[in-house]
Amino acid sequence: MDLGSRLTVVVGSGGVGKTTLAAALGLRSAAAGFDTLVMTFDPSRRLKDALGIGDAEGNQEVVVAGTEGRLHASLLDARATFDGLVARYAEDDEARRRIANNPYYHHLAGHLGGILEYMAVERLFEVASSGRYARIILDTPPTTQAIDFLEAPTRIVDFLDSGALKIALAPWFDPNGELRATSRLGFVGRGLERFLDRVVGMQLLRDMSEFFRAFGPLFDGFRGRASETETLLASAETRFVLVTGAGEDRIPDTLFFARKLDEAGYQLGSVVVNRVHPDVGSGVAESEMSEGQRLFQWLGDRHRRGLATLRGLLKPELPLLAMPLAGDELTDLESLDGLGRELEQRWLAALRHPTS
Amino acid sequence: MPILECLLQRRLIVVTGKGGVGKSAMTSVLGRSLARRGRRALVLEVDPRENLHQLLGVAPSGGAIVEVAPNFYLQNLKPRHVVDWVVDKQVKIKMIAKRVINSPIYHRFVEGAPGLTEIAILGHALRLARGELPDAPDIDVVILDAPATGHGVYLLTAPKLFAAAIGKGPFADLASEVADYVADPVASGLVVVTQAEEMPVQEALELRRVLAERFGRDPELLIANGLYPVAPDRGDDELTALWRRRYQLNVDQLERLDRQWAGPRINLPLLPIDSGAELVAALCDRFDTALEAL
Repeated sequence: MDLGSRLTVVVGSGGVGKTTLAAALGLRSAAAGFDTLVMTFDPSRRLKDALGIGDAEGNQEVVVAGTEGRLHASLLDARATFDGLVARYAEDDEARRRIANNPYYHHLAGHLGGILEYMAVERLFEVASSGRYARIILDTPPTTQAIDFLEAPTRIVDFLDSGALKIALAPWFDPNGELRATSRLGFVGRGLERFLDRVVGMQLLRDMSEFFRAFGPLFDGFRGRASETETLLASAETRFVLVTGAGEDRIPDTLFFARKLDEAGYQLGSVVVNRVHPDVGSGVAESEMSEGQRLFQWLGDRHRRGLATLRGLLKPELPLLAMPLAGDELTDLESLDGLGRELEQRWLAALRHPTS
Repeated sequence: MPILECLLQRRLIVVTGKGGVGKSAMTSVLGRSLARRGRRALVLEVDPRENLHQLLGVAPSGGAIVEVAPNFYLQNLKPRHVVDWVVDKQVKIKMIAKRVINSPIYHRFVEGAPGLTEIAILGHALRLARGELPDAPDIDVVILDAPATGHGVYLLTAPKLFAAAIGKGPFADLASEVADYVADPVASGLVVVTQAEEMPVQEALELRRVLAERFGRDPELLIANGLYPVAPDRGDDELTALWRRRYQLNVDQLERLDRQWAGPRINLPLLPIDSGAELVAALCDRFDTALEAL
């Protein structure tokens, strides 16, 4: 049975091991004979080296050694994607130059805040529509609100459809940088200008207006791509894998995420509870345990309790995969492949025997 | 100057680190520790889903300032409210201010303008620490449970960039005021939380580098959290073998920090305590002992 899908999106809060699992899924997909791309955001140095993207430029798709050319890996570079977008879609050199010189563009493009999610959407569209890969495994960015990424396409479409853009695109300023409406309105206009200046600052308005006007021709394409990406994410060919930590304290987060995916019409393929501590068992009386043994027993109990509670709260047919804590951080291809196999086995078993 | 004195001087302490390392617990520990030393401390949370109250053993507040213990306060902040407040203050006629705040275009602007949220958060912390908020208690120090590292760096750099990008206006003024505050090594400080594992340590070291580059300063303190106890040399059963390997991983990463992190560090153990409030209390005792020894 083939567990893969055209697009697999690995989601979850920061620090739960998404990137490692995405790499493991990628290796298994390639081993099954599919040309696969793993798109990732912030792998550790050792994982980067294992995948061979340690020295690759952002967005470069690099063949992973030992996969017979079937697995590629790529690191998302938000700035390069944004610049590439401008270069590709701007109407002419003049438009390109105007965007490149705009301080607001630099502010937007230079920093992760908010823009990373949009660029991930652009990049996903670019790769998915290229037809280069039969399978794509997408690791999601470490956003403040983990759900931000998934809502990005909808936000783009909403923003473009709202009146905000029309207003931003209106020719507010004449070539001398004077507000058009206000110079026509005379005394009242000067009042309005002072009002606007007080609230947001005229320079910001001037730069934003310039930016949106220069960027304007790009927006239609942007809307189209964002809504196609939205369709792809919600399609039957896409499956989400939700990764979470063990322990009862992680449950609210996990349920919140699962509900959000459901509301958005996305298909959740499985929930992976990562780094579950082993069951210590009751071989030793608690009074004879060392401090460390008691800690491990506590962790094991806590994680099993968490798993049982979570199982009861999720839909019975949804596979819940408990992945044991590994002794080492998995950063070579062999152990990543082992992790992928283990995940596959658990997933298949869960599908054969739901809620076991 | 000893690190304890440094921390007692600060008016704003930003706590950051990779996701999942225990930032919120450490924010609570630090707040509690400073409050016990007589500083009127407020821990500020910006996650829309409230979480810190559980670690401090109080009810969720929905945005109001809550007294946790004498000298010790908690607030869950909605950044949006701060931006609304700036508009409200600038626009003298209340009806117009209300119309601006309720307009969809304003909503998009606030959601979409990069940096605005960060400025709102830090601006709020600044006003709290200066006693400029009418209904707030007197606060000596604000401890901010900041977003994970990448965003944490952005939080600190955003005001300067925002101020430079937009020139003048009330948001720009607030941005440059906040930028000055963040750059002032006496007024504000940074505490980095990590676990002794490769990725969080990597992020902590990168954060340190970025901070030195952009601000020419170092974090005040590093907390290595969730350490396994010393593993026994003997025993080949599965559990002992796992314990030994996880412990060794901690040892390796702590050695890496010894080599690459020049600055004070406090190590805190993984403790088998279920309740968040009890855990924070137990960690706070250990934190205090370690802090005084530095």
